[in-house]
Amino acid sequence: MKDKITKISLWLMVAMFLLAYPKLFGMYYVNLFVTFMVFAVFSLSFNMLLGFTGLLSFGHAIFFGISGYGTALALRHIEGIPLFPAIGLGVLAAVILAVVLCPVVVRVTGTAFAMVHLAFGQLMYVLALKLRNITGGEDGIGNFPIPNVSLFGLFSFPLKNNPVNFYYFALVILGICTWLMWFFTKTPFGQIQVGIRDNTKRIDYLGFKVPESKSVIYVTSAFFAGVAGSIYGLFHNLVSADGSLNVLVSFTAITATLIGGIGSFFGPIWGTAIFQILEELTIRFTEQVELVTGIIMIIVIMYAPRGFTGFLATLKLKWQLSRAKRRG
Amino acid sequence: MYILETKDLNHDFSGLKVLFGVNLQVKHGERHAIIGPNGAGKTTLFNCITGTYKPSSGKVLFKGMDITGRTPHELTRMGIGRSFQITTIFMNLTVFQNVRLAVLSKRGIRFNLFRFVDKMKDITEETEEILRRVNLIEERDFPASALSYGKTRALEVALAFATDPELVLLDEFTAGMSRDETHAAVELVRKLTEGKTAVLIEHDMDVVFSLADRITVLHYGRIIASGTPEEVRSNQDVKDAYLGDLEV
Ligand SMILES: Nc1ncnc2c1ncn2[C@@H]1O[C@H](COP(=O)(O)OP(=O)(O)OP(=O)(O)O)[C@@H](O)[C@H]1O
Ligand SMILES: [Mg+2]
Repeated sequence: MKDKITKISLWLMVAMFLLAYPKLFGMYYVNLFVTFMVFAVFSLSFNMLLGFTGLLSFGHAIFFGISGYGTALALRHIEGIPLFPAIGLGVLAAVILAVVLCPVVVRVTGTAFAMVHLAFGQLMYVLALKLRNITGGEDGIGNFPIPNVSLFGLFSFPLKNNPVNFYYFALVILGICTWLMWFFTKTPFGQIQVGIRDNTKRIDYLGFKVPESKSVIYVTSAFFAGVAGSIYGLFHNLVSADGSLNVLVSFTAITATLIGGIGSFFGPIWGTAIFQILEELTIRFTEQVELVTGIIMIIVIMYAPRGFTGFLATLKLKWQLSRAKRRG
Repeated sequence: MYILETKDLNHDFSGLKVLFGVNLQVKHGERHAIIGPNGAGKTTLFNCITGTYKPSSGKVLFKGMDITGRTPHELTRMGIGRSFQITTIFMNLTVFQNVRLAVLSKRGIRFNLFRFVDKMKDITEETEEILRRVNLIEERDFPASALSYGKTRALEVALAFATDPELVLLDEFTAGMSRDETHAAVELVRKLTEGKTAVLIEHDMDVVFSLADRITVLHYGRIIASGTPEEVRSNQDVKDAYLGDLEV
């Protein structure tokens, strides 16, 4: 009971902080936080595959990117389309792409899975650059109309050129996504998912269909990556190959997840935050941000292979042990 | 009528012939031991029966139905359970979570994304019931990787039984156990196989003679004898080929 109260008050404090955030910090940090939320959700969707199913993808950006392009194209070409259908179309594109890839990717694991995605990622990147009359080539698609947020005419507020509104909008959508992904891991199917990671053969011998189950996970992961990508495109009012399909986008999720810890649901969120703080700090001293993150990666892999959350868990265990010892 | 039969089963691994026309016959309700020296092809036979491999030729019949080449998950749903010589459990999940997965499968809960699994009372109760039966209730919340060797093997066996199969195939469930652990495991399997049919691959002759109703001897991919323990014990071919070495 006491635990529950502490938990609820903790969450209330977090909620209040997030609500007050735009008032407390300047515009620069509001935008920074939106970026953080987008990449946190993207990394969470990536960790559905890596941490929870044991599948490492080198091209998760394909879902992020295609959804961004989908939303941008819908807003550019479909006259008067409201906001949510436009986001929905982008996400639908990501889901369709995942469904198309499913038959191939659920039958490979390990290096093959990683490499197939690297290849698809490069293919999409090149396509986005070459199909100039659809994608705008190197310039991407920018300055497309962004409709107001409205729900059944109950309320309506503008997003375009309004970072604070956008902050709240992203907070709600990405918050819901985070909760849904967390819930996913707690369902019976979520158990099957970790079972696949731990021992695929036993899952098969318990009577579960492995490829079908993997397909569901894969498409769900693409869905959430798609939401993140669509929001990201709206946020910048621009989608481009380098911003959303580049292999570096995929690696952002990998780095954040590894730094945060693949073994925990919230690991990727921590990882994204740490990654961003590091970037903010290093950029003041040097342009070579990748160099610093690279070094951090090496340190993490060598000394804290379970990432930040794993490190915290070890600390907690040590503290409990020493407390137990003192008590005798 | 046989619950499990193989007809002229052959298997080879890209040229290496391992099974030569195996005709195994397992009766309803019996505990049937398969014995034979290392490399005889016992595990391969299990793999061909339970869908790990598709046999090169021949047939597998379950309750008279042709199940050759069916996949493991199909066979599990038809009522065949299996434990492995090499432990095949979920090492990073707790003992409870391991068995719960089997219970979920048995109840046909496969793509449920709408409920908290921890709040499904009936699933929890059934899982705990199984844990009590297999003496793992005290280790309920241990990660499987933290179990003693003997308990790991008990969990392996528990997973084979937890889907409540009609027919179970146990591949050396006592492998590597101490005397005490073996004794406990034998009693466990005796209890769990009640009312079921079991096929046991086993090296330990004490275990074989204490559990088996009938025995099949597999020697370099061929069945050289099959019958009651007395028949097999007195069979001259078996003595020459196998039991002689073990001084039984
Ligand atoms: N996947 C495989 N690929 C190639 N050869 C294999 C494979 N599996 C088994 N074999 C070979 O087939 C033969 C039979 O192996 P199997 O594992 O069936 O024997 P076993 O009777 O179970 O032996 P043990 O008592 O040691 O468990 C051995 O010679 C083995 O090397
Ligand atoms: Mg074997």
